[in-house]
Order: sequence, then C-alpha cells, then structure tokens
Amino acid sequence: MTHPNDISKIIVRIAEIMIDELKLEDVTPETFDPEIDLIDEVGIDSMDLATIALVLRDEYGIVIDEDDYPKLNNIRLIAEYIQKRVDEGKQG
Amino acid sequence: MQVQTHRVEGTQEKTWKFSDIIGDPVVGARWEKVRRYFFLRESTYDMTNRCNIRCDGCYYYEGAKQFAHENGNPADWRHLMKDEKARGITYVVLAGAEPSLEPELCQVCFEEMPLGAIASNGLRPIPGSINYRIHISVWGDDKTSLRVRKAKDMLVRQIANYQGDPRAVFVYTFTRDNIDQIHGVMEVLARHRCKVTLNVFSSPVGYNGPLRHTLQSLSRTRKTMMALISQYPENLLFSPYSAVAHTHMVGLHGLYSCSYPRMNTSTAIGLGRSFRQYRADLTWDRGAACCVPDTDCNDCRHYAAGSAVVTARLFRHASDPDTFKSWLDYVDTYLAVWVMGYEKDVNLCDHMVSPPGHDLPED
Repeated sequence: MTHPNDISKIIVRIAEIMIDELKLEDVTPETFDPEIDLIDEVGIDSMDLATIALVLRDEYGIVIDEDDYPKLNNIRLIAEYIQKRVDEGKQG
Repeated sequence: MQVQTHRVEGTQEKTWKFSDIIGDPVVGARWEKVRRYFFLRESTYDMTNRCNIRCDGCYYYEGAKQFAHENGNPADWRHLMKDEKARGITYVVLAGAEPSLEPELCQVCFEEMPLGAIASNGLRPIPGSINYRIHISVWGDDKTSLRVRKAKDMLVRQIANYQGDPRAVFVYTFTRDNIDQIHGVMEVLARHRCKVTLNVFSSPVGYNGPLRHTLQSLSRTRKTMMALISQYPENLLFSPYSAVAHTHMVGLHGLYSCSYPRMNTSTAIGLGRSFRQYRADLTWDRGAACCVPDTDCNDCRHYAAGSAVVTARLFRHASDPDTFKSWLDYVDTYLAVWVMGYEKDVNLCDHMVSPPGHDLPED
C-alpha cells in the first residue's frame, strides 16, 4: 500500500486507478495532470467518481462522502482529501 | 471516517472490501455488464400538450408545463437534439403529453439521438423506424381503465398495437385501487408474450384522491410484486429490491436523496449538472426539472425516478454482498426496461434487502 502521507505517491496511485478503471487512453500515471478538471476536461461523471471512490476505499480504508464528490474535481483535491481522512483516522 | 461494516446477525461485524464483493465471478460479471452503461446521461422532453385520453391523477396536466406553446417545427427539434448531444446528453425520454401524436418529431429525435424511450398510452402505434423503447402505460384492467382513463378496451388495443414488438415494455402502475387486478392483466400480457415492468402511483402535488397510496396499500403492493417475480420470470422485468425501493413507507427522496435538479441544487456533477426537462415549447425550468414534474416529491415512488435515483447511489450499496447484488439487480432491471437490446439476467438476490440506512418496510 502507498504510504498515506506522501501526497505525490497518492496522486500517482489515483491516476493509475482512474486510468485502469475508466479505461482512459493517451495518458499515463506520470503524465496525468493532477490539476486537470476531471468533470469538465476529462469528462467523468458521478458514476465514474463513485467507482473510483470504492477502489480508494479498499486501498486507503476511507469513505468519500457522496456529498463531497462535487468538490473533488481534480486528482490533487482527491489526494488531499484522502490524506486528511487517513490522518483523522489515525487520530480518531 | 473509516470503512463501513456490515453486521450479520449472530456473527461479528464483517468489513467488506469492494474488490472482495466483485471477486465473486457472478457478481463481478454482472458489475462489468451494467457499468458499460454508466455513460448514459438523460434528459426528458414534452413532445406536445395534447393527449388522446385524460387520466385521473396524470402528472402532466398539473402545473404550468401543460400551458407551454407547442413547438411542432421539426427543424427546431433537430437543432435542440444536436445541442443536447453537444452538452453530453446520450439518452432521451420523450414523454408528455402523448408523443405518439407527434411521430415526425419523435423520428427527428431518433435520427439525432439513437438511445431513448417514449412514454405512451399505446393506443396509437409509433412507427417502427423509431427504434426507442416504448413504455405503454397500464393502470388496471379494462373496467378500471374505462373509469380512470375514460378509454374503452385499452389493454386489448395496446396489445393489438404492440404484441411482438421488441421495443415495447408494458408498465403496470399500482394505484391504491387496482392492486389485485394485476393478476388478470399479467396473465393476459404473459399469454401474449409481452414484457412488463411495475410502477407505483406517485401523487401529483395536491392530489389526495382515491389512487393515492396508504401504508396498507404499499404493503399489499409489495407482497403482490414479490409473488409476480416468482410467477412470471420470463415476462416480468423487476427485482425484489425494486419492490423494496418503490413500496417503502419512506419515498424515493427520503431513502436515496433525489438527485434531479428540482431537489438537488448542486450543478457540479451528475443529474444536477446535466438533466433538463423540456416543455413542449423547448424551454426548461431548473426549479421544476425532474422526470415526473409536478409530482409530490414526498410521495414519489415512480419507476422513472428510481431508475436514476437508486442507480446513482452505487457507493452506499457496496457495503456487503447482498446489498450490492440487490443494487445490481435493480440496475440490470432498469437497463432492460429503458435500453433497446439490453437483456435482463436472473436476479442475483432472491429476497428483500433493506435500503442503506433504513429498515425493511413493515408489513
């Protein structure tokens, strides 16, 4: 499992999951721009995000609330969200 | 927040990983089957203000939409469909008031948007060149239809028009007073090899008439649905979880938080971002936009609403194998009802499972 506190590793791992789950072409985990808007520019929708959220739940042991999906429109934001939740879990 | 756990009675809490749930080959295959359709993004369109019958409790003739000035210009409709495609819509539902009265406009929509469905009373055949699903509304036996819809021999005429038509799905709407009539209607439809799905009457705003459901009638409807699932596996497109979701004392919004714009202010993603309900004049109003406008949201158990609202709640159903299988059955059912060429498989979960965060409905 990726070390949860390393944001750059989380970003790459999320990119890998997205490419794999959504069958994205012409992009690699290393070239996937973490700032690109996933909804407006990549074209993913709520069902895609829910699928990604399930894989991330398995990987990091955290729940991404459905109400939070609209806020998570790029990979960096998702990575920061995961990191925060993992840290909260450790403290809680 | 940590991952959800699921308590099996008499055992320790078990935490399920999603990969474990879909690791079951049968569940995994069904997941792969349904997820291929996650690209569907719908909007709905009133084709005309006219209908050839007038039914008690019809949601179309409530509210302002019935007074919109009709736009019957095919070029305008073609332009609208091109614009819809450009903004990401991939599926159209042609509804109010009676689309079969405007076959040319339906044809234009089909030429521009190949996936869709038409909601019709089935009394006037829709040309075969329009290869959408056609949902034919049935509200009881012919005696009841004459009383509630003021039309003679409805079922006989609907079957004459659509028997053997692969586009057709008959939609039986359970009201408070037609529950037992489904048995006779279903026997006739099955004999004619018609496909059938089930709907639950959802009151228009302000409606308190005799069709509105009570807790008792919802319970009877649920038991009847479960019996039909066993009795008509070849003809009925339905699942035990569909029965739970649509007959629960808490309506669809209470169970799943409706994601249509009328109840969802977010414009960031999902239906709140893309869904529009166009009136016959090709305008739309975000504040009124859902698949059954002017329905009382607290009483909404409509099959069209559930198809989007339950399906959208993928995450919360991936808590344990039975809940996820139930969700898959629901989605498999919805796709078979709405998408041409999609074939329903056998249900993976043969019993009723409670909606996430709620109890099973009481009998």
